[in-house]
Amino acid sequence: MSAGSHMKFLVVDDFATMRRIVRGLLKEMGYENIDEAEDGAVALSMVKLNNYDFVVSDINMPNMNGFEFLKAVKADPKYLKLPVLMVTAEARKEDIVLAVQSGAAGYIVKPFTKATLEDKVQKIMQKLAAAA
Amino acid sequence: MRIEELPVANAAASPEVFQRLGEITRQLHDTLNQLGVMPKLRNSAQGLPDARSRLSYIARKSGEAADKVLTSVEHAKREQTELASAARSMLAALSADARSSAAGLAAIDFVTQLEASTGRIDAHLTDIMLAQDFHDLTGQVVAKVVTLAMDLEDSLVGLLVQAAPGDSAGAQDSGLRGPVIDAAAGSDVAANQSEVDDLLASFGF
Repeated sequence: MSAGSHMKFLVVDDFATMRRIVRGLLKEMGYENIDEAEDGAVALSMVKLNNYDFVVSDINMPNMNGFEFLKAVKADPKYLKLPVLMVTAEARKEDIVLAVQSGAAGYIVKPFTKATLEDKVQKIMQKLAAAA
Repeated sequence: MRIEELPVANAAASPEVFQRLGEITRQLHDTLNQLGVMPKLRNSAQGLPDARSRLSYIARKSGEAADKVLTSVEHAKREQTELASAARSMLAALSADARSSAAGLAAIDFVTQLEASTGRIDAHLTDIMLAQDFHDLTGQVVAKVVTLAMDLEDSLVGLLVQAAPGDSAGAQDSGLRGPVIDAAAGSDVAANQSEVDDLLASFGF
């Protein structure tokens, strides 16, 4: 089990199947503390109520999409350091640029592999640790 | 150029433009009627809700299938983890005194292979789990096509209302209907095997 297994994750995706997949992969990576939200609006309220260490979010969602959610989270100085990894089918370069400009910690295009997710999460955590 | 940026003179000419547009619309209407296109358009418009239902049915069924697979994978992974743990425990217990006999060595060899297999099976199960993301990807495409079909349907219905008011000829039967997409939508379909059996029983089967 990894040293960061105590970390609290939030997985945001409107497709329950995708949330289950990401949850399953995170569990395999040793993370057990995982919550789920079905859109950006629900995720935003959950972020404010819980102390998450990491957020994995889709972009194309109803109510509040991933970009809006990301901007709303990053607008609060309290969550500037909260890493938000975008996992999405949106592969246009302008979307990727917009995500980075909005404060995303990383960007994964679906379909993806376990190795890709593991690599991104680890690199983001290492970057955070180095900045601390 | 945006419409508000057009010169005022153009705005003053708009009654003529609208009159000309009306004439073109009338010509289009007459031409469509002369060519016998309206019945085909009507059939297309009436067929679109069915097409949308079928697409939604595909999305729902593929989602249910993906969920079933994920549930089975999760169960299998749990059992597989227990099996791997048991194999490691047995290997540790056997190693001490089993090496003195051929049977003991065979048992060690078997458990070693078993432990290695559990690792490979776990990787396969992860691949199966990840492959279920097809539901998310295809679901997004289906949702877009359904939206397009709705827009097209609205446009066609609008055109029909303008071009053929009061014409309410029914749609032609398109033959076999395929799987039941929305059982609640009509009483002319059997929602499940139980209803099929009841129907058969009423015929003496």
